[in-house]
Amino acid sequence: MTTDTVRIGDLIRTRRVIVCCGAGGVGKTTTAAALSLAAARAGRRVLVLTIDPSKRLAETLGVSRNPPTPVAVPADRQAAAGISAPASLDAWMLDPKLVADESVRRLTKTPEDAQRVLGNRIYQQVSAMVAGMHEYTAMEALHRLVTEGRYDLVVLDTPPSRHALDFLEAPKRLAGLVEGRAIQAFLPKRDSLVARAASKVIEKILSAVFGEEFAQELVSFMMTFSGIFSALNVDVNAMRRFLSGPDVAFLLVTSPAASTLAEAHFFQDKTKELGLPFRGFVLNRSRARNTSKRWPDEESLDQISPEGKSGIPKLQSFAHAELEAARRDLGLLTELQQRAGQNATAMAVPELPQGADDMITLITVADALAAA
Amino acid sequence: MVRGVRSSWGPRAGSHQLDELLKKRVVLITGKGGVGRSSVTAAAATLAQRQGVRVLVCEIGDDPADYSPLARHFGRERLPASPAPIAAGILGALLLARSGQELFLKSVLRSGTLARAALSSDALRRLLSAGPSFKEMGVFFQLLTYLREKRSDGQPTHQLILIDMPATGHTLSLTGLPELLLRLVPRGPIAAALREGQSYLNDPTLASAYVVAIAETLPVSECLELLEGLRKTGMPTGGVLMNRVPVDPFTATERVALEEVIERVNPLGAEGFLKPVLARREIARLRANTMLPITLIPEMPQSGLMRSIADVLLTAEKVPLPQTQGRVA
Repeated sequence: MTTDTVRIGDLIRTRRVIVCCGAGGVGKTTTAAALSLAAARAGRRVLVLTIDPSKRLAETLGVSRNPPTPVAVPADRQAAAGISAPASLDAWMLDPKLVADESVRRLTKTPEDAQRVLGNRIYQQVSAMVAGMHEYTAMEALHRLVTEGRYDLVVLDTPPSRHALDFLEAPKRLAGLVEGRAIQAFLPKRDSLVARAASKVIEKILSAVFGEEFAQELVSFMMTFSGIFSALNVDVNAMRRFLSGPDVAFLLVTSPAASTLAEAHFFQDKTKELGLPFRGFVLNRSRARNTSKRWPDEESLDQISPEGKSGIPKLQSFAHAELEAARRDLGLLTELQQRAGQNATAMAVPELPQGADDMITLITVADALAAA
Repeated sequence: MVRGVRSSWGPRAGSHQLDELLKKRVVLITGKGGVGRSSVTAAAATLAQRQGVRVLVCEIGDDPADYSPLARHFGRERLPASPAPIAAGILGALLLARSGQELFLKSVLRSGTLARAALSSDALRRLLSAGPSFKEMGVFFQLLTYLREKRSDGQPTHQLILIDMPATGHTLSLTGLPELLLRLVPRGPIAAALREGQSYLNDPTLASAYVVAIAETLPVSECLELLEGLRKTGMPTGGVLMNRVPVDPFTATERVALEEVIERVNPLGAEGFLKPVLARREIARLRANTMLPITLIPEMPQSGLMRSIADVLLTAEKVPLPQTQGRVA
């Protein structure tokens, strides 16, 4: 790190991974899309990786939902957005189930092994259970895309989650399962007498909990799966190291609401605790810009019809409230800037017009981010 | 009264609009982030307490040390790990997957030695924390335990359990859990616990999910998707709680007169002028796409204050179904 002030515009041009974290409903997906658009406009080959996004964003970027691999934003849209070769913008709205299947195929030694796992009904049911799988698959996909080197920058929109850093913790728990050979404890033992006895106890527990029939099935599933877990474990540790490195920036997306701010502070502390490079706050829906708005001049007010005049004081009370809110948000940005400290920054993005996540709006946000 | 939604949409005669909610044993409050879900949950708990209902408010958590948006409304940093008073007449508790799993193991492994072996097994602990469905199962069993608890007079300890549910995906994986796991494990103690849980959660007289939303484009779209998801998992749904509905002080004449200057100058105050128009459109769209009750909670100057929301809930108005579609269920 240099001692220069961090600028989001620089992060867009230099980093290989930007991770957008934040509570739900703060406009995280839109921010991730705008960041990737800004980087592609600045000449880079960019991928925006998002999970379970709003249909609208997929429509805006002109890509289908849940394809098996990343897809290019259609050429006419890229051209319209001012992206020209060698720069490019790809998007991947990934489906956790498809990515999990893909990982199994890649990590198994033979197609027969892959088929055995994919055909296992425990696997089929559990991988269909979206919560939790989101985190594994996001990490998996990110790791692969970064190592492949097809992109200069990958922007990750973290899965919607109460704790946005869950996607880092969940694979760690998975790694914990493999470390110390935890899984081996469930498998039938042939070696020592002690191991056999321990394994007998666990077998008893599993049968009591799951019923004998299912316990058998579970053990055989884990035998097939343990090899895959260990392969994934290597990736998880490598990924953790990479994410802590200088090529990565973590941004926290927040809104002026007290609850999301409190959560943003929590995430900031958490990234520090985990040794991850926190580089800034993006304050969405900031009304700070309203400080430059004006009250209509005398002439305009005079033109209002007499029967509508009674509406003017009502409008005025809204105006007062809006000015107050604008000043509050301006103060908030200063506070975030102070909180960001030496190695991070804070910037505000104004509230977008309702439902306007069309390309034009995205470009406006992208330019604001690039200039920040 | 929230003006501008339509003046004829007054509250129905009789008791307040959440009386249905307060009659249940377990209520899930769900909805997308940023819509004020935890304020509404806290307000509903306050309302329950005022009506003399023994209420327990819960939030799903991983760690008792975690920051809790719900606890904030009761002037606390976090919720207790097991039911304890968090306000006068209101108990609060985190629904922790880990303690649910432990309770389950203890109840299943009658032998003390086995239970101790299981709980001290590092391998088993790691397995339980890694598997996604094991986590939900733990939460599920913890909830079931609270539902079962009885006082010495045989009455339930917690008459009403209110849960501030996490983001959409997590809600559906919890409500869909019994069906999913029963397909895998149709017999044995897990199946028995799941069926017992289902007997509460799928019974509309005992359980209900309420979706909190705000009257804006994307939140209403997501609310409709969530309602559909809940229906698919067999979860009875009580309705939509439309939060922060903007108050419209302007008369129709004033609106017409002011429109020109608003469009031309976009002055300070324009946002407040335009917001109720959008809100009306979105509430109408929601009404056109669901038969479920929609309760309007007007925006308050000190937005999110749960005591004032609780006051408002007593008089909140419902958006009636169009005449042709029959009455509100």
